[in-house]
Amino acid sequence: MCNLLNIEKDPIRVLITGAAGNIGYAIAPMIARGMMLGPDQPMILHLLDIEPASSSLEAVKMELQDSAFPLLKGVIATTDVVEACKDVNIAIMIGGFPRIAGMERKDVMSKNVVIYKAQASALERYASEDCKVLVVANPANTNALILKEFAPSIPEENITCLTRLDHNRALAQLADKLSVPVSSVKNVIIWGNHSSTQYPDTNHATVSTKSGDRPVKELVTDHNWLKSEFITEVQQRGAAILRARKQSSALSAASAACDHIRDWFLGSPKGTWVSMGVCSDGSYGIPPDLVYSFPVICEKGSWKIVQGLNIDAFSREKMDDSARELAEEKELAYSCLNA
Amino acid sequence: MAKEPVRVLVTGAAGQIGYALVPMIARGIMLGADQPVILHMLDIPPAAEALNGVKMELIDAAFPLLKGVVATTDAVEGCTGVNVAVMVGGFPRKEGMERKDVMSKNVSIYKSQAAALEKHAAPNCKVLVVANPANTNALILKEFAPSIPEKNISCLTRLDHNRALGQISERLSVPVSDVKNVIIWGNHSSSQYPDVNHAKVQTTSGEKPVRELVKDDAWLDGEFISTVQQRGAAIIKARKLSSALSAASSACDHIRDWVLGTPEGTFVSMGVYSDGSYNVPSGLIYSFPVTCRNGEWSIVQGLPIDEVSRKKMDLTAEELKEEKDLAYSCLS
Repeated sequence: MCNLLNIEKDPIRVLITGAAGNIGYAIAPMIARGMMLGPDQPMILHLLDIEPASSSLEAVKMELQDSAFPLLKGVIATTDVVEACKDVNIAIMIGGFPRIAGMERKDVMSKNVVIYKAQASALERYASEDCKVLVVANPANTNALILKEFAPSIPEENITCLTRLDHNRALAQLADKLSVPVSSVKNVIIWGNHSSTQYPDTNHATVSTKSGDRPVKELVTDHNWLKSEFITEVQQRGAAILRARKQSSALSAASAACDHIRDWFLGSPKGTWVSMGVCSDGSYGIPPDLVYSFPVICEKGSWKIVQGLNIDAFSREKMDDSARELAEEKELAYSCLNA
Repeated sequence: MAKEPVRVLVTGAAGQIGYALVPMIARGIMLGADQPVILHMLDIPPAAEALNGVKMELIDAAFPLLKGVVATTDAVEGCTGVNVAVMVGGFPRKEGMERKDVMSKNVSIYKSQAAALEKHAAPNCKVLVVANPANTNALILKEFAPSIPEKNISCLTRLDHNRALGQISERLSVPVSDVKNVIIWGNHSSSQYPDVNHAKVQTTSGEKPVRELVKDDAWLDGEFISTVQQRGAAIIKARKLSSALSAASSACDHIRDWVLGTPEGTFVSMGVYSDGSYNVPSGLIYSFPVTCRNGEWSIVQGLPIDEVSRKKMDLTAEELKEEKDLAYSCLS
């Protein structure tokens, strides 16, 4: 790779919160190798975590240095949210309060909305103006919503949550069913909440074959499977991983986060759409003021909801169910904040 | 026209180095962005469920280059047809264990892995041993897989090499990609010798020797060396777990440069079967400076070795000789 003038791009600053945890440990080397921003885009990593994790956090920084990544131009490892947020162009919010056995949903929500309200202020004040935000920590959609509400000067189109993991899981299930490479399946949609009410929709998905792109519905003759088992498989995959590994998904979550940002940043491939949790604008009858997963295409650093897709009655119900759950979460979140 | 997939085996795949390594391989970091791969992941039966969890996650990641995943506790299935074998699996040292005990457990493992690889791997399979004691595990593997060309068996010292580059780059406040040609001589242990005598830094006025720019021989001959030697322990102290991220990344670098070639003018460190170069006893797996081309490594010859270096290189060779004796006594 020879550039006579050797002009390198300016580094982009990427913040990872909860960086000392498992997803952080998986994602940091992926970013440093160019999987998130492309093979010619240098970066500076900002790693943020809480004080009890400061020793582990320092160790992550040491290992990143020890890896001699050519694209990694600096690492800031800190427990100071201001230092962490300063001038960042991308923020991956992995940090959050995990659900511990015995905790009520209200308690988890309560802890997390407080965190995301505080993070919102810090990002709004210190991040770069164009900062793109991806919320990973659960409850992802509602954490993102809180972040948006309390960082009003961050353009709402710059605040998203991760449903790409579910999207990729759906592609993989279809690929497995059809015994085709996963790269030949596209345009599944994950609608709604990154929770068990998400709706993995195959109505517009296609498979690339020798005779061109064919609808998944045509190739998978078992439509019952598509409307039941397939959906539950994708919805509950997180729990399945947890059972097998005794830990939640880190590798695949990290990889999906890279895909989410990469497509947002560099554009989604032509003819392909991806799923992103974004601020609803009322499209498809989804109430605005929710962070809801939609099918989007990405171009020139912006995402746009794919419009005009036919929604059948089955889909309508599922999409509305998930929207209802999100409205409830929103109410719960606000009640926690006002308590 | 897509390339034929390459089969890559990772042993100990359910562990933390495996977990860091497999997504890197699946993204093309090890073999290039256009090289499809089929991953073979091998671990022991107690780890079978966790191993399956890793397989599930690899599938969930929808990697375009990943054309298949074989997750197994059967060494034969694990080794069949593999073109690259990264041996991460081994018996970890537990508190209270004597060095002899660790050695004993590991030499049995590597003796049997040797047999499986020899019988079932693809011809010309390239082997990288990561599990400690890396050099001696690799030696045992070589000894008990006589039909695997000895040049195809290596151990990882690229982690130490990268750590050394990292330390220099921090010291000089230069990008790490501007530093090159450190050498790690010897054993992947605290007797390794990180040698900067031939290391260079890219500057605006061309390449300059590291010694010239650092201007602190005491540091280069003292603290720098012990920092690199003991970095593994420092990571364990901070993380309460050993290095996985950086070990995995370095394993990718080791294989990538071996298969795709080192950049012009750059050498890297690999633990390879000694041919007596630099008066290092033959019959040991010893880390040397190498260049790689056409899928083969060759030791960089003709580098002047000063007295200080000579002593350190001999010390680590001594240690490797002792490990070899201990290994053989365990096997007998």
